[in-house]
Amino acid sequence: MKPVATRPAPLATGEPETPPPALTLNRITVGFGRRHVLRNVSLSLNSGERVALLGPNGAGKTTLLRTLATLQPPLDGQASIGGADVAKHKRTARRDIGFVGHTPHLVGHLTARENLAFLASLYGVADAASRVAEALDVVGLTGLADRRARELSRGQLQRLSLAASALHHPAVLLLDEPDASLDRDAVRKLPAMLDALCPSSAVLLSTHDPEVAAQVAGRQVVVDRGQVIESGQPGSTPQAHQTPTGGPGVSFFGAAWALLRKDALVEWRAREQAPALLAFTLLVTVLFDMAFVIPAASDAPAVAAGVAWATLLLVASLSGVRLFGSERDANTLTCLRLAPIDQSAVFVAKYVVLATHVLIVGLVQLALLSALLDLQLFQGGMLATLGLVTIALSAVTAMLSALALESRAREVLMPLLAVPLAIPVMLAGVGATLETLQGAPAGGAAPWLGLLAVVAAVFLALSVLLYPHAVDG
Amino acid sequence: MGLLGTALRRRAVGQPPLFGWRGLIVYAALLVLMSAALYMIFIYAPAERVQGDAHRLLYGHVAVAWLAFLAFGIVAFASVMYLWRRNPRWDSLAVASAEVGVLFTTLTLISGSVWGRHVWGVWWTWDPRLTTTLVLWFIYVAYLALRMYIDNVDTRRRVAAIFGIVGVVDVPIVWYSVEWWRSLHPVQSVTRAGLTAEMVLTLVVTVVAFTVFCFVLIRQRYLLERASDEGEGLRDIVRNRNDVLRQTGAPSAPEAGE
Repeated sequence: MKPVATRPAPLATGEPETPPPALTLNRITVGFGRRHVLRNVSLSLNSGERVALLGPNGAGKTTLLRTLATLQPPLDGQASIGGADVAKHKRTARRDIGFVGHTPHLVGHLTARENLAFLASLYGVADAASRVAEALDVVGLTGLADRRARELSRGQLQRLSLAASALHHPAVLLLDEPDASLDRDAVRKLPAMLDALCPSSAVLLSTHDPEVAAQVAGRQVVVDRGQVIESGQPGSTPQAHQTPTGGPGVSFFGAAWALLRKDALVEWRAREQAPALLAFTLLVTVLFDMAFVIPAASDAPAVAAGVAWATLLLVASLSGVRLFGSERDANTLTCLRLAPIDQSAVFVAKYVVLATHVLIVGLVQLALLSALLDLQLFQGGMLATLGLVTIALSAVTAMLSALALESRAREVLMPLLAVPLAIPVMLAGVGATLETLQGAPAGGAAPWLGLLAVVAAVFLALSVLLYPHAVDG
Repeated sequence: MGLLGTALRRRAVGQPPLFGWRGLIVYAALLVLMSAALYMIFIYAPAERVQGDAHRLLYGHVAVAWLAFLAFGIVAFASVMYLWRRNPRWDSLAVASAEVGVLFTTLTLISGSVWGRHVWGVWWTWDPRLTTTLVLWFIYVAYLALRMYIDNVDTRRRVAAIFGIVGVVDVPIVWYSVEWWRSLHPVQSVTRAGLTAEMVLTLVVTVVAFTVFCFVLIRQRYLLERASDEGEGLRDIVRNRNDVLRQTGAPSAPEAGE
């Protein structure tokens, strides 16, 4: 848990205090590898100023906004939000940023109100309930507050995104074509909405419509082929920088808890994983049982040991594909990356989700095998083994799920990555099971359980340490 | 054409790797060492009492096995350095070592299997060493697959570096788990007869020869990866340049791949 960098103190000078610009780009170059999308771009916005970015497709408007939103580090130059460098002090900068991207970063299975409440908890918004109600009212969604996001129209989602981005009174609001799917009425009301939601925020919005630009913004900046070709006159004079009411941000466990609650609610409503995983478990177990029609009862423990943990490995890698993948497909991972939280908290929450799935499947599995093989599997040693296998296996697969996130063909790749790394977990699980079921002297399974604990500890430590590198550059 | 000219003059792009007098010395040394190793393996070293001529397989087998481990060690080191420094050169070293490591592990498994067929009478057995080597092979094949499936260069390098670290951390765990697993079900172990002085000398020369071979391979693969990166970079530079030229209305250079 990295300490959050403090904002540099304003310079004490004798002159009347001029607040620092809300947003500065100092000769930044942004791109992929050596391909430049933006070259040498400089720009500065004062608090309360509203600026429109205009330019043809492919000019670099979205890249510029994403760079400011801490999503794409510049190759050269400096970008800062309220004095905090977006590449070096991401978490500090993120507290002051509201971002509306091309696609809404909202959770489909949560209602409009729940979406906002979830974000409020990630940003540590004070007096969340009333702020959420206020934001919904401003964007005209009070009547639809309890409708799920997936049932809203494209334009309604856009309004909700706007409310979500401004919830924490960000110092800077970055809007990527906010007018894209709004109706004429909503576009006309856009300035009023911004006034009501976050009056003191600097707003930088991209648009293709010069009319919208003139309506909303006091200044127009034209970008073409990666360069600012016209930057207009700074419209408003610097205003006093209103400190955001976002508060000190949320703690590691606060963030993890908020994420867990969200995932539990989504799983409860969508039933995306549990039924399919349970059916899969039943299928695989029956299949294995048929494959090993057992000649002698004495072989039953060996079959139980092999089938139980092999099935669990398949389930974990299958579930692992969806673990981070579902967030990415629904675009909500961007929303988590934008939140001013310790990114490792995201990993911890996801890990708990996966471990819960694996544990439930494991219990069902033990019941199935007890019946099919006529064994008593619900005993202390077996349950301890199941618990530790669950912890270790979930650690391995959750980490790989995060790694395979940006790959093509995740579904194919996942077992390829997970099975070799999980071999020690499999062997230890089988070893402990055999010791327990073959009535070995007490403590025979202990070394195996110890091995499982070591694997779990090593992989959890590595994941928490390396996860931020995996998703956040 | 200042920018373009500088890039084109870079040595790594224009020249095939390891040529010139330094390359000549390395290749000559490799030729001499390899010839010596082959001579010693097949003619100089005496036949072994129990295994007969089959043991001659083991000289190369031992050499590639230990070099495979070394190569994977280099992958881990380069991965840590990449995450720390974010210099693409470390990533190139990691991928070069991983590929050579997988190649040498494959050779280890094949030579071991052929030897096992003659001496143990089976192509494969779940001996701890064999099992660990096989798992190692799977882990680094997965590493190469992971790289193949990620398109974004920066993401690929980052993710591969993390997997490279996780992979090497897993190796000792795999080793211990397999060791315990087999010790619970002991198998007949083959007693190895003592080595004669000639055999030891042969082994040393073979290991040295293969080590030089391994480093030449890693270096060549590394330079190839660098050249490919530079090529990508050049194309990007041409495109950047054209973007600037188009803005001023000047004619632009043709771009590869468009």
